[in-house]
Amino acid sequence: MSIRTALLLILVALRATNAQAPTSPIAPRSAAPGGTRSIAIDSRLAADAKLRVGDRVVVSSEPGVAGDTVVIAGIVQRSADPAEVARAEYRIRLHLDHLQGLLGYGDRVDRFAVRTRDARSAREAISRIDAAAYGFRAHRSADVAVETSKTFAVVSRFHRAIGVITIVASAIFLLCIMLLKVDERRRDVAALRLIGCSARTIVGSVVLEAAAIAVLGSLAGVAVGGAASWIVNQHYQAVYRTPLRFSIVTGDIVLLAVALSLVLGLAAGWLAARRLVRTPPLALFGR
Amino acid sequence: MIGALALASLVRHRARTVLAILGVAVSAAMLLDMVMLSSGMRESFRSLLLAQGFQLRLSPKGTLPFDTEATIRSADSIAAIIRARPTVLSVSPVLGGQLHFPLAASMVNATALGVEPAVQGDYELVDGRQPSAPDELVANEALLRALGRTIGDTVSAASGYDPQLRTLAGQRVLRIVGRVRFIYLALDQRAAALPIGTLRAMNGPQSEGRASLEMVRLRPGADVERERAALAASLRTVTVISTSEALKQVDERLSYFRQLAVILGAVSLTVGFLLVTTLVTVSVNERIGEISVMRAIGVHRWRVVAQILLESTMIMLVAAPAGLVLGLVTARWLNSILARFPGLPERIDFFLFQPSAAWTALGLLALSGILAGVYPSWRGASLPIATTLRQEAVG
Repeated sequence: MSIRTALLLILVALRATNAQAPTSPIAPRSAAPGGTRSIAIDSRLAADAKLRVGDRVVVSSEPGVAGDTVVIAGIVQRSADPAEVARAEYRIRLHLDHLQGLLGYGDRVDRFAVRTRDARSAREAISRIDAAAYGFRAHRSADVAVETSKTFAVVSRFHRAIGVITIVASAIFLLCIMLLKVDERRRDVAALRLIGCSARTIVGSVVLEAAAIAVLGSLAGVAVGGAASWIVNQHYQAVYRTPLRFSIVTGDIVLLAVALSLVLGLAAGWLAARRLVRTPPLALFGR
Repeated sequence: MIGALALASLVRHRARTVLAILGVAVSAAMLLDMVMLSSGMRESFRSLLLAQGFQLRLSPKGTLPFDTEATIRSADSIAAIIRARPTVLSVSPVLGGQLHFPLAASMVNATALGVEPAVQGDYELVDGRQPSAPDELVANEALLRALGRTIGDTVSAASGYDPQLRTLAGQRVLRIVGRVRFIYLALDQRAAALPIGTLRAMNGPQSEGRASLEMVRLRPGADVERERAALAASLRTVTVISTSEALKQVDERLSYFRQLAVILGAVSLTVGFLLVTTLVTVSVNERIGEISVMRAIGVHRWRVVAQILLESTMIMLVAAPAGLVLGLVTARWLNSILARFPGLPERIDFFLFQPSAAWTALGLLALSGILAGVYPSWRGASLPIATTLRQEAVG
């Protein structure tokens, strides 16, 4: 059993509570009175089990095994880590030697974190550790991050695919609407053509109109997207009890959306206008 | 007659109708995909859980099977207690671990499952036979390829490292007797299964009598939930999970995809609805003179309503088959993206096609088509006949 996993499994048995103890959001005490070991628990466990700083609990590595009485020295907030958001189990933090003792784990650990001065020192440290190591390896934090974020890379690809389908649907919708708008003005366009307006002028005016609609529509879309993003964050932060932001509207995203809708709008307007000016004016009058 | 008029109206503006059908087809495809996503994932996981006929799973207290590295203490005693129950057909203990295979110039690592081969439910035999002796193992294709071994070969394996002595711990020479496909592991995950006693012995004293999971197969007709409750009440060191309980946990973990499916499905339906409503409304506006003439010569108001409703429904229904095909193609594409989730069992399908999904999508489309025609048909049917005819005549 790894220590990291065991941290998740330590079972907390409520034995006694100290009603006078103050509640605190972050661990304020490093030592408990009377030599009792101290632990920190996550805010979800504190809320669900109604535990507070100063309460005494019994922790053991398995149900039915004698454990240690410890005092809660702090309540910690989970970090905004997407990898942990769907995990519902509670977490407690113990001093390393305390957990090793509870598990009968000797002096083993799952990993060491090593801070180096710069990137070059990191490379040197990795090669020296790997040369000396047996049964373990050193990795750059950036490489570990890439490995552990593969799930989110897949979700991101999925979102992009959904985005492509949405763009196709939007393009067809836009083309349809532009076709309808241009069709509505068949007689106007026929009259303009008969009094000498060039096809280029008519196409230009329709394209300009399409661009205006696309810009206004995309601005409205940005507003709707911002509101939807806020609702998504509120909902999922409450569901998963995490400060993680699930949806972020950035300047790049807004630019991409506006540019895409502008391009689609212009293309749809141009296609619809071309179809109209190619029809003889008298045919547009229905004659 | 009504059908012919509706069809004539659609054919009159071919480009418009084709675009509308295309737009609705894309919306229908998205709708079908989302219906498949919302129900298929759950169904796929359910069939995976029931694939080998085990209805109950016991894991260390407070955990889900193989969600952590925790193990069940006194697993053999617990298995004996469960086997003694009259409703229980078999119990399959499983111990998870790691195996390290030293090769000439490298080390191959693999997931190891300690099982009782006669009652195991973790893999299907593809080639060879089950392990029958303590020094035999079966492996999947990914591991055999990495090792460069085949059935009948022997291989040296260890369960860990001793960094202080710089040696491998729990080293054994094992014979490969079968090629298998693991049901709950990813396709590219290197894995082997061997007798649980062998893996325990390789791990050392800390694994003695332990298991990561115990799977229970009940006799036909047994009440699964009653058995689950009885076992949970009598065994305090384990969590007893039935298939329905496991599905509930999966629902919680994957609630994101279900909610996404509902939201995107609703958006697709709305887009399709708006598209058809707009088209039919414009079409009615262009034909108000024609509609007024029909009313003036005695065509009943309800016939006008029926014709316009039929137009919108026809667009939806003609687009539906194209949407179904497009939906199945995009579902395969989207599924191939999600199938790359690290550690996802090979057999899990996020987009599982079920006839009910197609019928649901078709029903929603037909309903949406009818609703899309309500406003324009009301407008067409409620036109004042004389005024409209005069306006149309004057121009």
